[in-house]
Amino acid sequence: MAAGRVDLSVDLAGLRLVNPVLVASGTFGYGTEYADLVDVSKLGGIITKGITLQPREGNPPPRICETPAGMLNAIGLQNPGVEVFICDKLPALREFGIPVIVNIAGETADDYVALAARLSECEAIAALELNLSCPNVKQGGMHFGIDCALTRTVVGAVREATRLPLITKLSPNVTDIAALARAARDGGTDALSLINTLLGMNVDIRRRQPTLANVTGGLSGPAIRPVAVRMVWDVADAVDLPIVGMGGIMSAADALQFIMAGATAVAVGTANFVDPGVTGRIIKDLAVFCEEHGVARIADLIGAAHSEESR
Amino acid sequence: MHAQTVRLIHLKQVGPDCHLLKFDCPEVANQARPGQFVHLRVTAGCDPLLRRPFSVMRTNPAEGSFEVLVRVVGRGTEMLAQSQPGSEFHVLGPLGNPFELSGPEGDVVLVAGGVGVAPLIFLATALHESERHRYVRALFGAGTEDDLCCWLELSGVCDEFTAVTEDGSAGETGLVTDFLPEQLDRGAGCVYACGPRAMLAEVARQCQAAAVPCFVSLEQWMGCGVGACLGCVIPTRASGVGRYQRVCKDGPVFDAAVIDWEAMRGGCGPG
Repeated sequence: MAAGRVDLSVDLAGLRLVNPVLVASGTFGYGTEYADLVDVSKLGGIITKGITLQPREGNPPPRICETPAGMLNAIGLQNPGVEVFICDKLPALREFGIPVIVNIAGETADDYVALAARLSECEAIAALELNLSCPNVKQGGMHFGIDCALTRTVVGAVREATRLPLITKLSPNVTDIAALARAARDGGTDALSLINTLLGMNVDIRRRQPTLANVTGGLSGPAIRPVAVRMVWDVADAVDLPIVGMGGIMSAADALQFIMAGATAVAVGTANFVDPGVTGRIIKDLAVFCEEHGVARIADLIGAAHSEESR
Repeated sequence: MHAQTVRLIHLKQVGPDCHLLKFDCPEVANQARPGQFVHLRVTAGCDPLLRRPFSVMRTNPAEGSFEVLVRVVGRGTEMLAQSQPGSEFHVLGPLGNPFELSGPEGDVVLVAGGVGVAPLIFLATALHESERHRYVRALFGAGTEDDLCCWLELSGVCDEFTAVTEDGSAGETGLVTDFLPEQLDRGAGCVYACGPRAMLAEVARQCQAAAVPCFVSLEQWMGCGVGACLGCVIPTRASGVGRYQRVCKDGPVFDAAVIDWEAMRGGCGPG
């Protein structure tokens, strides 16, 4: 079987992706930032930087800090607001010709509903990703994503406001992520994405103060990958919903771990900063892996590690 | 902008913790403008994970090479300093906005602090080679004589050059900003500065008081280098969504008048 004939397409809650490789919210801007370096049109899809109803200036710097095989960030949802997004960012995003998944964040359930309703009026949006898990804002964000009842309420309210597929992004900063996954399912989400960043902190010992102005930040990168794979595994066991897996994916081998743990698609995040060409390489190497292992459709590998377990 | 693997062709220690690295890369050599930077991956592995940004110090288009000045401040820069000629690194660049060369008439004053000299060497070289000759006066400050890395490379392309050390081991004694007032008193068309935050804040203050345009090259911990992650921002005087601007994409060269120097004092990043 030639790599070119491997079927990399997957079905994510009715959304057909030509390959399972997305870019994670906040790591790829609105696509155009990377257009000089990456053939964006070859991605399975793009998940935008988080959008809020009103513009947000974000957190004061320093906003990022390198950690062992990872990084902390506390951007604070800096974004131009939904109206500017629709006027200035969406037209260029549409030009890439790939599914555009818009990440939305709010301080209240009403914010999420208003965002979903507004974005539902726009053409060329493939799905919404509900950011219930941003660890770096004082209001909203993770506040919703760590509480089962709130998660169910917010997802349910958004569900009624839009016909777009809903992907609920879960926080790893919980004791039992499967419980949150069930709450999102009960609210009516079509899919789940996990994990958002792990809450972390670094101290600048020379200045005797936290390195980040926000004190805490979200940990991403290869350092969190085993945690993310385990959570995808747990959630895949708990609910029958498609999963977008993410957390420290740097290679096709990493992506395959998520897929075999139960993810239908994967999102590449921090790796884009390290190597802008990483997504193209992952897509190519996924096909090579399938070819070498006699896999005709990558979809056949979704949850493959679970079936091994049950043998 | 290019993304490619480049070869280190020369490496030389030029100060107690400073190293000059020359890379074979015709694309950056031909395209880089003074003030722009390259984003260098120090290891093919994932620790340290992030790239490191360095201002281009000099290009040699004929040879197809460019140089960066690296001060060892952590593990990433230590790995660079320890690498051998022939080693390969992945580089993105040239990135960011260059210094505006067609500034107001009058003398150009350069104020460099420590390894902040690097982009100003590139700038002075370009001004020196430009047909529209500008009279360039440079101030270069550091802690000690040994820390005046590459001072010959700067003095060689300036019309006037003043070295300043805090301990008096070379040139004038004091802080480099102690010697800026007399430069401004003599009249200046424009001031370009790069160095520690405190130095830049003082340069900006003096230039504002003297109503002389001032452009600074800033550094900040950086993620993507291409404007996507919003990690490398610095505070400006604007309010709302324009308050924080990206060093990688909106900078690294900024008009000093737009920066919120008060907020910069809070220790918001390196330097």
